[in-house]
Amino acid sequence: MSIRVENLSHTYMPGTPMESPALVGISLEIKEGEFVGLIGETGSGKSTLIQHFNGLLKPTTGKIYVDDIDIGHKGTSLKEIRRRVGLVFQYPEHQLFEETVFADIAYGPSNMGLKGENLTRRVRESMEMVGIDYEELKDRSPFELSGGQMRRVAMAGVLAMKPKVLVLDEPTAGLDPRGRGEILQQIKELHREFGLTVVLVSHSMEDVARLVERLLVMHRGKLVLSGPTREIFAQEEELRKIGLGVPQVTELFHHLRGCFPTIKPDVLTVEEAHREICSYLRQKRGNIHA
Amino acid sequence: MLKDITIGQYIPGDSLIHRLDPRTKILGAIAFILALFIISGPKGYLTLTIFSIIIIILSRIPATFVLRGLKPLYYILAFTVILNFFLTPGEEIWRWKFLRLTVEGLRQGVFMGWRLLLLVLTTSLLTLTSSPIALTDGIERLLNPFRFLGVPAHELAMMMTIALRFIPTLLEETDKIMKAQMARGAEFESGNIIQRAKGMVPLLVPLFISAFRRADELAMAMEARCYRGGEGRTRMKQLEMKARDYSSLVLMVLMIVFAIWERLGA
Repeated sequence: MSIRVENLSHTYMPGTPMESPALVGISLEIKEGEFVGLIGETGSGKSTLIQHFNGLLKPTTGKIYVDDIDIGHKGTSLKEIRRRVGLVFQYPEHQLFEETVFADIAYGPSNMGLKGENLTRRVRESMEMVGIDYEELKDRSPFELSGGQMRRVAMAGVLAMKPKVLVLDEPTAGLDPRGRGEILQQIKELHREFGLTVVLVSHSMEDVARLVERLLVMHRGKLVLSGPTREIFAQEEELRKIGLGVPQVTELFHHLRGCFPTIKPDVLTVEEAHREICSYLRQKRGNIHA
Repeated sequence: MLKDITIGQYIPGDSLIHRLDPRTKILGAIAFILALFIISGPKGYLTLTIFSIIIIILSRIPATFVLRGLKPLYYILAFTVILNFFLTPGEEIWRWKFLRLTVEGLRQGVFMGWRLLLLVLTTSLLTLTSSPIALTDGIERLLNPFRFLGVPAHELAMMMTIALRFIPTLLEETDKIMKAQMARGAEFESGNIIQRAKGMVPLLVPLFISAFRRADELAMAMEARCYRGGEGRTRMKQLEMKARDYSSLVLMVLMIVFAIWERLGA
């Protein structure tokens, strides 16, 4: 399952005084099984871009291929594309509407024509995928759950369609640290255990540093950087220029290198930092004793 | 598609009509409607049409924009004219089966259609040239004298302001929820009428919930800034009647007098 975008441009309200270009000449490819992060300052076009991945928005110019199917083509079933590319919007709990958790999660698959036994199994599976208990929650109203649980239910509602690609727009926005941690862990497992291709849109450099393999960086509707996470975060200057940054611990290590030049420059997570400091100290102690 | 709705659209500008006090414009619109329904002959229609054209020119709003306001009215207009054509009793000039076209019907139909046209054109100018805030301010001040009758002038005006303020916000929200449900395979544009109505539930429930949440938050924010109704509240922009407002009002009174004279004379 791959997504290929060729020279995509999108203009909002063309032909009116309010006309504004949101995306300009974007080309990219997301390969099957990849875990990709999409970062950029507010208003850089991230949300507009991901809405093209499942045909919610139509390109002004350019093409999008999902599994080599041109989604702008007349005969393409957008419903099928939307089943394959699951999109979890920002604050997805705002789209909950059913009386029970079960009915809400079943909404997507029943739109796809799933019924009876199959539907029940699908709902149960997707609830397990996001780590919530089927028996305990299926008959509860989604509106009496906690914020974190509501978000999981909403995510399960998308996963219940068995997408091959999961696109998440800031899935941790507005959650407390524990909620964030749990959701991110869950997403990581979806990628690792179920082999989903994941695109994660985020404002948190820490989150993407910890999770994704490859980063796409957007600025004012253009794709300005793209590459392995470590390589992108090595370009602190460029990131700062476009209103982004690097994870705090990476920045700390930049400073530390001022006093300890032999320390590793490209540390991305707290765990890595911990390992690096321990091994550095151990080495140093060894040097003194020798 | 949702963004094309232009209810109460305001086109900023600095024309004479823009600068009139909103109270003058509201009273003027009412006076014009009154005059429109008093007159009965070609002389009256001609005068009011010329008056409308002059006001539209003075407002410096592109004629295409003013005419766009008529779009939703095409059907009602056509309906009114045709009904009047064929259902007014009188001297018959043409008949086909049970349909009878009469002289009186023709006259009545053309006048009724023309009356509606002028009515919408001129009153739409009211919202086109006054910002929503100015309008509600004007309404509040006009209703103020009726407060002793129990009319909650300030509260009404505040409700209107808030409602107008939230139209674009709610449209945006609707768009977002529609997309989220479409991502789950919802289809809003297919199926028969019952299926479509059912299909609205996943859109309306979240929309209502978010509207209530917004209302709650707004109430809290207003209270946090010590809002407690209209009693003793001062305003940043005081409405002030100027010479042009008084002369406009005099003009409107003259127009009504003329309309009555025209009716009695005819």
